[in-house]
Amino acid sequence: MSEQLATRPPRHFLRRIGSQDPIVVASLALLLGFVVGALIIITTTPAVLDAWRGLFHSWGAPGHAIKVSFDNVGAAYRTMFTGSIIDPQSFWHSLTTGKGWDTTLTPISETLTYATPLVIVSIGVGIAFQTGIFNIGANGQAVLGGIMGTAAGSMVHMPTVLHIPFTLAAGLAGGVISGAVPGVLKALTGAHEVIVTIMFNYVLYAFLLFAVLSTALQQPGQQNDISRTLDPSAQLAPLFGVGSGLRVSYGVFVAIAVVLFAWWLLDRSSLGFEFRVTGANPQAARASGMNARVIVIVVFLISGGLAGLAGVVQVASTTHYIDGEFLIGNAGIGFTAITVALLGRNRPMGIVWSSLLFAALGVGGRAMQATTGIPLDLATVIQSAVVLFVATPVLVKEIFRLRGAPSQTIELATKGWST
Amino acid sequence: MRLELRGITKRFGSFTANDSISITVEPGQIHCLLGENGAGKSTLMNVLFGLLHPEEGEVLIDGEVTKFADSGEAVRRGIGMVHQHFMLVPVFSVAENVVLGFEPTKSFDRVDYKRATEEIRRISKEFSLEVDPDAIVENLPIGLQQRVEILKALSHDAELLILDEPTAVLTPQEIDALMSIMRSLAASGKSILFISHKLKEVKAISDVITVIRQGKVVGTAEPTASEKELASLMVGREVILTVEKTPSTPGANVLEIRDLVVHDDRGLIAVNGVSLDVRAGEILALAGVQGNGQTELVEAITGLRRVESGTVTLKGRDVTNVTPRQALDAGIGHIPEDRQRFGLVLSMSLADNLVLNTPKRAPFAKHGTRNLRAIDQNARDRVEDFDIRATSIREPVSSLSGGNQQKVIVARELSRTLQVLIASQPTRGLDVGSIEYVHHQIVQQRNEGNGSLIVSSELDEVMALGDRIAVMFAGKISGIVDPSVSRQAIGLLMAGETNLEHV
Amino acid sequence: MEHVSAGITEARADAPVVRKVPRGRTRVIGVIMVVIGLFTLVAFGLNTSSKAHSALTFSPVDIISNAPWHLGTLTLLTLWTNVVLGLVMTAIGIEVLWRQPRRGVMGRFGLVSVLFLLALLFWAVRTPGPSQVSFIDLTSILVGSSEVTMVLIFGSLSGVMCERAGVVNIAIEGQFIAGAFVGAMVASTTNNYFYAAIGGLVAGGIIGWILAFLAVRYLSDQIIVGVVLVTMLSSLSSYLNLQIFTPYPNLNTGNVLGNFAIPLLDKIPIIGPVFFNQSAFFYLMLLLIGAVSFALFKTRYGLHVRAVGEHPHAAATVGINVARVRYINVVLGGAIAGVGGVAFISQQGQFQPGITSGLGYIALAAMIFGRWRPSGAVVACVLFGMSVYLADNLQTYNIPISTEILTMFPYIITIFVVSGLVGRVRAPAADGQPYLAG
Repeated sequence: MSEQLATRPPRHFLRRIGSQDPIVVASLALLLGFVVGALIIITTTPAVLDAWRGLFHSWGAPGHAIKVSFDNVGAAYRTMFTGSIIDPQSFWHSLTTGKGWDTTLTPISETLTYATPLVIVSIGVGIAFQTGIFNIGANGQAVLGGIMGTAAGSMVHMPTVLHIPFTLAAGLAGGVISGAVPGVLKALTGAHEVIVTIMFNYVLYAFLLFAVLSTALQQPGQQNDISRTLDPSAQLAPLFGVGSGLRVSYGVFVAIAVVLFAWWLLDRSSLGFEFRVTGANPQAARASGMNARVIVIVVFLISGGLAGLAGVVQVASTTHYIDGEFLIGNAGIGFTAITVALLGRNRPMGIVWSSLLFAALGVGGRAMQATTGIPLDLATVIQSAVVLFVATPVLVKEIFRLRGAPSQTIELATKGWST
Repeated sequence: MRLELRGITKRFGSFTANDSISITVEPGQIHCLLGENGAGKSTLMNVLFGLLHPEEGEVLIDGEVTKFADSGEAVRRGIGMVHQHFMLVPVFSVAENVVLGFEPTKSFDRVDYKRATEEIRRISKEFSLEVDPDAIVENLPIGLQQRVEILKALSHDAELLILDEPTAVLTPQEIDALMSIMRSLAASGKSILFISHKLKEVKAISDVITVIRQGKVVGTAEPTASEKELASLMVGREVILTVEKTPSTPGANVLEIRDLVVHDDRGLIAVNGVSLDVRAGEILALAGVQGNGQTELVEAITGLRRVESGTVTLKGRDVTNVTPRQALDAGIGHIPEDRQRFGLVLSMSLADNLVLNTPKRAPFAKHGTRNLRAIDQNARDRVEDFDIRATSIREPVSSLSGGNQQKVIVARELSRTLQVLIASQPTRGLDVGSIEYVHHQIVQQRNEGNGSLIVSSELDEVMALGDRIAVMFAGKISGIVDPSVSRQAIGLLMAGETNLEHV
Repeated sequence: MEHVSAGITEARADAPVVRKVPRGRTRVIGVIMVVIGLFTLVAFGLNTSSKAHSALTFSPVDIISNAPWHLGTLTLLTLWTNVVLGLVMTAIGIEVLWRQPRRGVMGRFGLVSVLFLLALLFWAVRTPGPSQVSFIDLTSILVGSSEVTMVLIFGSLSGVMCERAGVVNIAIEGQFIAGAFVGAMVASTTNNYFYAAIGGLVAGGIIGWILAFLAVRYLSDQIIVGVVLVTMLSSLSSYLNLQIFTPYPNLNTGNVLGNFAIPLLDKIPIIGPVFFNQSAFFYLMLLLIGAVSFALFKTRYGLHVRAVGEHPHAAATVGINVARVRYINVVLGGAIAGVGGVAFISQQGQFQPGITSGLGYIALAAMIFGRWRPSGAVVACVLFGMSVYLADNLQTYNIPISTEILTMFPYIITIFVVSGLVGRVRAPAADGQPYLAG
């Protein structure tokens, strides 16, 4: 029976990290990620290193070293938690005195603020992944979205009820345009989107500098790379008013709308069905009459568009202007989105949860940096570690000796450079 | 060397590929293993070559029980294999392929190509295997590529050569050349194990013939036995699946194929000017050993492969080189040969797979939104109509048995309005019950007035289903006959014999 | 190569392999070349005053004063030079458009790009004109771009090592970062770039090992692992920069490694300063090019590697351990990229997050352009290196294009190259596919 004798790995691209109970695997991967983070803290914090250096000096030294390690790691993770979710003390205080709710709710508000654009872009990336397409350019697309959104929001003037949709649409358009480039290239030439999108990111970063230094977007009277500020009519106002100090904005409604859209698209629309089939088995998709070229382009338009939307939402709900460092580096939401989407297994609800989680990590990381001095980048390192473990469920299962039949199928099959 | 296989049994899950097989090959002997496709010959060879490990049984070389950890060890012990799908690196030269793994070296780990080439030329001359050592393998014709495989085995000092379906891809002249090579190898003391299903060649070359059917040895024969005897041993006098069939009343041509020329993946001609007609209310069965162009023919008709020249017409409408979408919409139903790769998305549900090629059409979708209720209802109806055994319409089809997976595809295609049905190896890997059912469905829709083209390498199926039988060999139709013709005659057509003495 | 066959006329026609080369795209590339050629003709040629002239010299700016050869300056009339260049470029484009050759199209495109750069430079330095500098010094351009080219070559060699064995190494950028970081740290503490190189080697090798571990043993998606590794390393380097380099700046002092000249040879016009007055890493790179080429194409080890990358099953049947070959090559590849990172920092001096700015990916594109051969990759790296260098330095010529736009060009060129090459180049057949034994 030739089917059972598979001597060659199947060539279809299974984006499902298939295993028994993926939530267990994800949670364990998360745990492992935090362990990695702890190890990094221990090996790089001077105080801890000092304690370990004195390991053989006295009998109590090992215990002391361990205690110092735990203290530092504990402090770091604790501030992460209180900075991103809730500080129990503050909560108790508010509960009992009825005051200070603003302070208590700030961490969650920050997490939600951070999560809002993250959800939007991650869903875009997740839709692409489900179609078997690696959109590594989400960050650049978000940048262009931010640029065009800022332009629309600061250089054109209209009443709020028009201005907000206009600004958001401009951001979306920026994302669509920057997504179209790799999409069309892949559809027409078969160029592998990984290099194209990564290179295009750099192009867009350069464009960002150009835009805020050399065009009309620059803040008048400024020499630095700072853009104009969004008109108040274009800003996404905080839900609880400016005075509350809680930054969570009307942007969450945009995010919710995007989630609903993604759910409809993937679960309910025939287009989404075609996306999923293409991602799961491109040959069967072709044999079933699906047009691969059109699908590739449409996916990039949607994925890019959502990234652009995320970019403008970020600007409109937080800083209200952009500078040369907008979304810079690997903390940029476009890159976090990749890890978020992988952790959330490319599904809308999963992405929502993992966005919240990674947003908490990011916000908590900032708090951790402020309190303990441990740089914020650690949060990104933890995120990456978690995702590496998630992408290798076999490894996680081996580490924890999870029960279940070892999957004989290859879970993920790269296509290399050919299509 | 004297090779003995004793009681070899190899299972894959619940399927037994080799069932207690025992064979002996003497030195200097050309021993042929004869059997149909799927009889278990390749599995047996993989066991012998160390690529698979048997559940039971042993291999004895010169009387000694031997176990190979991997094929490298088998090679070192003197077993050389010429695989059906060549184990050659296409972009390497002949020399590089032959010495791979056993390279002569000089200083700094450099490969000594001079010595290698000398050695190759020496063996070439000794066994009359002329090949240019500097030629790039992928540019060589298949016959020469095979020679490289043989050279490779010989250069490893193989004492036993296994040739797995070596003539499957050769032209008659190349086959003759191969035969004389084999004879000279045997004369020099090598043992040869030759696997094939082609009667003429088997008779021409073997000293001893062992016939395998469905994983078991069913008999040995001398090459002097008649082709009739060999054919019946090979194909068996098992119960021929009876299909209730009233004589067909063929109508007008539904599908007309004229002088079709199609290339394969390597750019070589696979379909070499084929002309066929499929008539309404008729089943045209296309028989033939796999690899003679049937796959490419079907792909060309269904829009999955380019037609280089010739035409395909569906009820008067030209459908040459249409896209798969257009082919589907035009009413071409397709049950693909490789159902898991082209016919199904294993990770998706049964319900989804049933609408795989019609997701946008009413009632399954309206204005781009899927109508899940209609899809589910459709799934429930199909499950009932086609007796698909599944626990739920939501479970992924990967959990279905092969037979039920095929039923899903059959159900999907037959519930559309079709102009013509193309089914390729429709009952491969299915249990008897499923086979019966699929046949029943095919005949039923033929009775309703549709035309179908059924491609199959199973002789029984071809004879049971076909109202007319076309036989394909080496890219051409070697004959179109009535099903009343004897099975031996068709077997001969399949083997390329176009001169039929009336059997 | 001969077809030894006995007059085969029947069924299985033995036509040579027909690879489908996209005709439509060839035409598009041809059109693009014609457009670039015409643009050069008009904008850099006819648009120039007929009195303007440009000077082309071949001596390094910091002239080796006792050079026995001094090639002097070639002064040309800008208008006509650029018109000629434009015509040549247009002619090449028309040829591609008309004849649609099957091979060498991207090579022609490379040529057109070089001519374009030349014309651009001529136009930029025209006198009278806005530029401060009135001449192009070919030698100093070559020397200047050789820094970037060198790093790119390390990266491409790493890519070749990994992909020839069948593993896609997207993490080269990460290995650069690791090498640069560790290199900066070790160089600052020990004041010795040799030890720094060892450090970078180890760092890169470890990352290669992680990639191999996840991809070969656990069959993870190689591209995802690569991208995530780069993200992780980038953040980690940022983190460590703040945790370690900021409180202890003596660990990141930014020593630059000086060049040493090979006497006599460095006085040869043009190639002298380019090849014989460089840092130790440059000479190491030259050795490495030779070593990798030799190893891959002449030795038994190389034959095994290439077999694994093309047809792992065939390799396995002759007893080659596919997994082990892949492990070794990916680790070696990582080590090479790590050294490349150290080489990079040895010129840049101080480590800063983001300093590598995508060079690792450009190196990958160069590898593809070079058809997975060290020799080809080197040529591609020279081209890319020049474009990066010029993008950074063109503002000295006061060209009316803003600096930021100029920095885009190397990346745009890379995108173009990658898109144009699809279907024309063949990766190792098993590249990127996890190998499931048995």
